[in-house]
Amino acid sequence: MTQDNALLAPSTGYLLLALFSILWIGLGLYWGRRNKSFEDHALAGRNVGLALGSATAAATWITSNTTMLAPQFALQLGVWGMLAYSTAAFGLILFAPMAKRIRKLMPHGYTSGDFFRLRYGRTAWAIFLVFTLFYSLTWLVSMAMAGGILLEALAGIDYVWGMTVILAVCVIYTMRGGLAAVIGTDFIQSLIIIVGIVAVGFAVLQNVSVDEIHANLSTSKPALLDVLFPAAIMAIFNNLLFGLGEVFHNNVWWSRVFAFREGVGNKAFLIGGLVWFPIPIAAGFIALASGALGVGVPSPDMVGPLVIANVLGEVGAVAIFVIVFCSLASSIDSLLAATSDLVTEDIYRRLLHPAATPEKLKKVAQTVTLLLGLGTWAVCVPRVGTLASVLFFAGPLVGAMIWPIVTGLYWRSANSVGAIGGMLLGGGAGLIAYFQIGWFVASTVGTAVSMVWVLACAIFSRSFFDWKMLKEAV
Amino acid sequence: MFSADFLTMLVYGSLIWCTLSAIALGVMLLRDLLRGESW
Repeated sequence: MTQDNALLAPSTGYLLLALFSILWIGLGLYWGRRNKSFEDHALAGRNVGLALGSATAAATWITSNTTMLAPQFALQLGVWGMLAYSTAAFGLILFAPMAKRIRKLMPHGYTSGDFFRLRYGRTAWAIFLVFTLFYSLTWLVSMAMAGGILLEALAGIDYVWGMTVILAVCVIYTMRGGLAAVIGTDFIQSLIIIVGIVAVGFAVLQNVSVDEIHANLSTSKPALLDVLFPAAIMAIFNNLLFGLGEVFHNNVWWSRVFAFREGVGNKAFLIGGLVWFPIPIAAGFIALASGALGVGVPSPDMVGPLVIANVLGEVGAVAIFVIVFCSLASSIDSLLAATSDLVTEDIYRRLLHPAATPEKLKKVAQTVTLLLGLGTWAVCVPRVGTLASVLFFAGPLVGAMIWPIVTGLYWRSANSVGAIGGMLLGGGAGLIAYFQIGWFVASTVGTAVSMVWVLACAIFSRSFFDWKMLKEAV
Repeated sequence: MFSADFLTMLVYGSLIWCTLSAIALGVMLLRDLLRGESW
């Protein structure tokens, strides 16, 4: 899609971009005034309440993929495709009890890296850092690229300009406001996204009924209504495990556990998962309506915006622009904050400068956020299309980290041999499955191989971990 | 094959669920603000 057939006039797109940029940066500067130390900056003072906690869990998980890829899943994999995408909610729901356990075991923790270092030692910690930084940086690059591509497709805004603005806005308010700004803006963004999806969904249903959609699919694409659609059923397991691995290991979620007030974490992740669960269905069914509405879909990844703009005109195009912009910002800011905290805490503080003051650490975190933004921008400018697909390689890597984390939190017999072997063997086997079979089994294979190794090592272990070692003083 | 009734339940159910979620988040924030527990 080019500037000539964009859904919105570029002037409208630039106006919306300017308005939301001013809003997010203004709020970031305002909320950043209270941050004095690294703890304030990275963990919002460890006192975030239930409403903001639940909203940030849901909003961070609503990426541009949720609003754009869920319709594509529905178009290609049918009803199961939407349900498969929704299973990613279980990542948040199952993380809820773990959040309570993490907060109890590590009352002074900062990052998921702290857990690996204290629980399994430096070798496992190093492997974890490589896996998680690869995942986080590719996710960041893919989100920034998606931002540029989507703003160009929706409003004809030049790719480099769109990508630069969205990245710069997120970098500025995350640098200045830290996690407090991220969580505060997440609340507003989550409400805008949910209300937007509901409004668009009901508006589409004013133009076509579900019975008409079903009748059209029954005659033209019956496979999309098939209860036994093999590829879609395999996608459910893969998506579920990828989602579990992403949430269980990544500092985006661990930093929130440490930021939430005591007793809030388990409830916030449970509510966040329940808030997130229906969104891929509410956003995805719009693609199933394309046939009944007679909307041509030249590019499956743009099916959602095409149907909405076709049915609702300019108002619909504005709505999808705002929804996509908020989805992108809510994920990019979280990734910037969590990754800069990980680099600051795990690499700068623990490896290089153990005696750094809280004020110095805050400045380092801000500098790392800026450098992450600049690095991401430099990688995204050439618009190498295959870069975004690199994120899928991370599926088996994150799947291989599920069992070392779960057993490490609950079983005293889980050990470093199991964790190291589980990550390396699971990640390796998953990557082989990715290239030999396909993406839809990679996470499943990686998780399964890791599980067998980790459980075997724990069962035959003769050493028992002392939980007090996780209560490291600040 | 998924029936029209199931698809109707899925679509309207998800939209109503989203609506209730948004209301619940708003009410929870209001409650937290009144108690001074937002953050």
